[in-house]
Amino acid sequence: MASSYSKSESKKLATWYFTVAATLFGAQLLFGLVAAIQYVMPGFLFEILDFSVARMVHINALVVWMVFAMFGSVYWLLPDETGIETVGIGLGKLLFWVFTAAVTVVVLVYLFIQVGPADETSIWFIHEGREYIEAPRWADLGITVVALGFVANLFMTGIKGNRSGIVTVLMADMIAFAGLYLTGMFYTDNISIDQFWWWWVIHLWVEATWEVFVGALAAYGLITMIGAHRKVVEMWLWIEVAMLFGSGILGMGHHYFWIGTPEYWWEIGALFSALEPLPLVAMFIHVLYDWGKMQGEEAAKGQDLSVITNKPAFTWFIMNALGNFLGAGVWGFFHTMPQVNLYTHGTQFTSAHGHLAFFGAYATILIGMMYLAVQGKNNIKILNNTKSSIWAVSMIVGGVVGMTVALTLAGYSDVIISRAQMGATWAGYFDAQATTWLVQGLVWRLLMGVVTFVGFLFLVKDLLSIGKATHHVR
Amino acid sequence: MATKSVWSDNRFWQRTAAWVTGFASVLLIWLTFDTSAQISMGTDADLQNGVTKRVPGPTVINYKVTYEMNKKRQHEIPVIGGMNAEGTSAFQEKENFFGRDNWSEEEAGALLHLGKLASQTKNCMNCHTLLGNGAYYAPDLTKAWLDPAWGPEGSMQAMTGKETKEEAMAEFLQNPSQYPTHARMMPNLGITAEEAKGLVAFLKHLSSIDTNGFPRNFGKIQGAVNGK
Amino acid sequence: MVDEALMSRDILVDDFLTIFISSTLVLIFGGFYVGIYTAIKVKLLKNWMMYIGYFFWILTAYCLYLMGSLMHVNDFTAKALVVAAIGLLLLPHAVYYMQDHVHQENEH
Repeated sequence: MASSYSKSESKKLATWYFTVAATLFGAQLLFGLVAAIQYVMPGFLFEILDFSVARMVHINALVVWMVFAMFGSVYWLLPDETGIETVGIGLGKLLFWVFTAAVTVVVLVYLFIQVGPADETSIWFIHEGREYIEAPRWADLGITVVALGFVANLFMTGIKGNRSGIVTVLMADMIAFAGLYLTGMFYTDNISIDQFWWWWVIHLWVEATWEVFVGALAAYGLITMIGAHRKVVEMWLWIEVAMLFGSGILGMGHHYFWIGTPEYWWEIGALFSALEPLPLVAMFIHVLYDWGKMQGEEAAKGQDLSVITNKPAFTWFIMNALGNFLGAGVWGFFHTMPQVNLYTHGTQFTSAHGHLAFFGAYATILIGMMYLAVQGKNNIKILNNTKSSIWAVSMIVGGVVGMTVALTLAGYSDVIISRAQMGATWAGYFDAQATTWLVQGLVWRLLMGVVTFVGFLFLVKDLLSIGKATHHVR
Repeated sequence: MATKSVWSDNRFWQRTAAWVTGFASVLLIWLTFDTSAQISMGTDADLQNGVTKRVPGPTVINYKVTYEMNKKRQHEIPVIGGMNAEGTSAFQEKENFFGRDNWSEEEAGALLHLGKLASQTKNCMNCHTLLGNGAYYAPDLTKAWLDPAWGPEGSMQAMTGKETKEEAMAEFLQNPSQYPTHARMMPNLGITAEEAKGLVAFLKHLSSIDTNGFPRNFGKIQGAVNGK
Repeated sequence: MVDEALMSRDILVDDFLTIFISSTLVLIFGGFYVGIYTAIKVKLLKNWMMYIGYFFWILTAYCLYLMGSLMHVNDFTAKALVVAAIGLLLLPHAVYYMQDHVHQENEH
């Protein structure tokens, strides 16, 4: 490794970010469980911690832990890629504390104040009530400052040190990431305009800039974990950027079918949605192809050993390639065409897709990065799996896939009853909610949520203890 | 050494990525200008002059709103103030909203402003969906104003004991747990009488937005669509 | 811009399941096609397996057709689906071609 943990402040800072990220991941799962219980037992914490509050914390913790882990990942890989210590590390540390403190205050306000009167003060200090980006406006401004500081560090380091292809992609991507957040901060009485710009943040984050970020992490991972050739990996990264942005930016169209926007978005959305799975398929084969190639080279040298230097991280990276393909690709595609989306939009199908896509595309690879950090921190040459690593990955992946399947079955019932047969009314909605498939689907979702949470406990235990195990190559 | 090919040249792919991204972004920005103009909110003058806007002005609350199948577009569209010969809004037929059908542009605008603010501060979207976006714990509110359950013969209106749809909705919003319809109840969110009025105006305005036919067959069918 | 209505007919209740399953299988079969191609190129599978790979691509194309016809897509969308199917057919070939080029340049 180009620069070791003990010498790099950037890597230390990365581990701080990962620690908070893992904590928030736990919070996300806990509040998800509360919401899942409320589906099954509606009286649970009624008017104490209502579904709306639990769900808000659930999805906000999701977004924030991922952003923390993304920042951490960049601070981790930056010294390796650029060959120098991150510039402005003091600023980075300060911003870390500011960010962590702000998130804590926001969550406490969500939990203990919950709702405010219908005025601008509530928007400024309680929450904005816009799914995923509920953070109150003061926090919006704070997040923007933190993000800009982070981008500044990335740029200064990239310019001063060796600017590799991966760093170049990250620089371009992170500036878009920070800039797009600004489009989700203003208030308007016109809900169509509101949702139009809201999607600029949500869609252009998760289906464009975050995906490219994942591409860059995968490239870094392939180089560090299996010694893939940098030139191949970086060329591939550029192709992915072209494919992801080429299909993802206008893939926005599939969110503009029904929010008041003109009909031409149907055609744009249909066309680019049909193309969007292609880069995901391509990313998947690329990882397998490089792995096969590197293993083949080793075999040609007469070596029978695995080329993988970090088994648990590589497992999570493979889960990422697979999960991205399944969650964003398969589960996205089957309800994306406008003809079908007319009936499936805003049903449990969307929820099924959301769970597997966020997990498959982002949670997996970020957990993989945490394992890379554990390896670096403990100065281990080859990190092997422990029993806990295997339990963690099996239970978390199994749990999330289980929740997704359960929600998909529930969603089918939702679509058929409430939309296709009952014309989407209040009564139709509750008729669908009462069907056996939906009721049982949500019970299974809860059970699978518990499985996921237990898997998370194994993950935490493993991240804290795997470095001390003795079966690694040091 | 194999011959250098453009296909394996990093700079070529870097430029391709930049051009593709740039082109897609420019296209998106251009479409954004066009769409923004089309979804900008209309005015009272538009309504009076019979100008159809995808998002009508706030004074739409003075008019009767329905949701009708349009032959030309092959899906349902909001019809404001009765239907004309082409099957679109006639902007004629008015309807009382909290006892009046002469809300001025300022009054209606203030009411909508309050309602939209309330929809955010009360966190509607984390249980309900609005325009199909949000959470799936409670019914979609896109066309809630047109839901038969709130109409004169509807169970919800009867339950609150109010004379009109808007009063029934406002009453429910203020005391949701007094009117439980299912085991899954709406919690009390401290919605005041004025905020409830604003929210109902917001919902009526929401129902008048042209959503390209979403949701399909709203309130029209009570069984499977099986006719070819 | 829209000369033919995109949604001329309701989807029949009985057709939904077929639509969902076929559109899921589009990517699953597509994934098999691409996976088999890749596995052959890294010599995990024998060359003749490629016929099975192409068979999966045909299944993909059929599922796209089935899905498209049951949801009554208009001409434009039908063309978009054909483009996507052809794109999937070419994708692994293009990827392999490029990867191979780079590897050769780096290793010799």
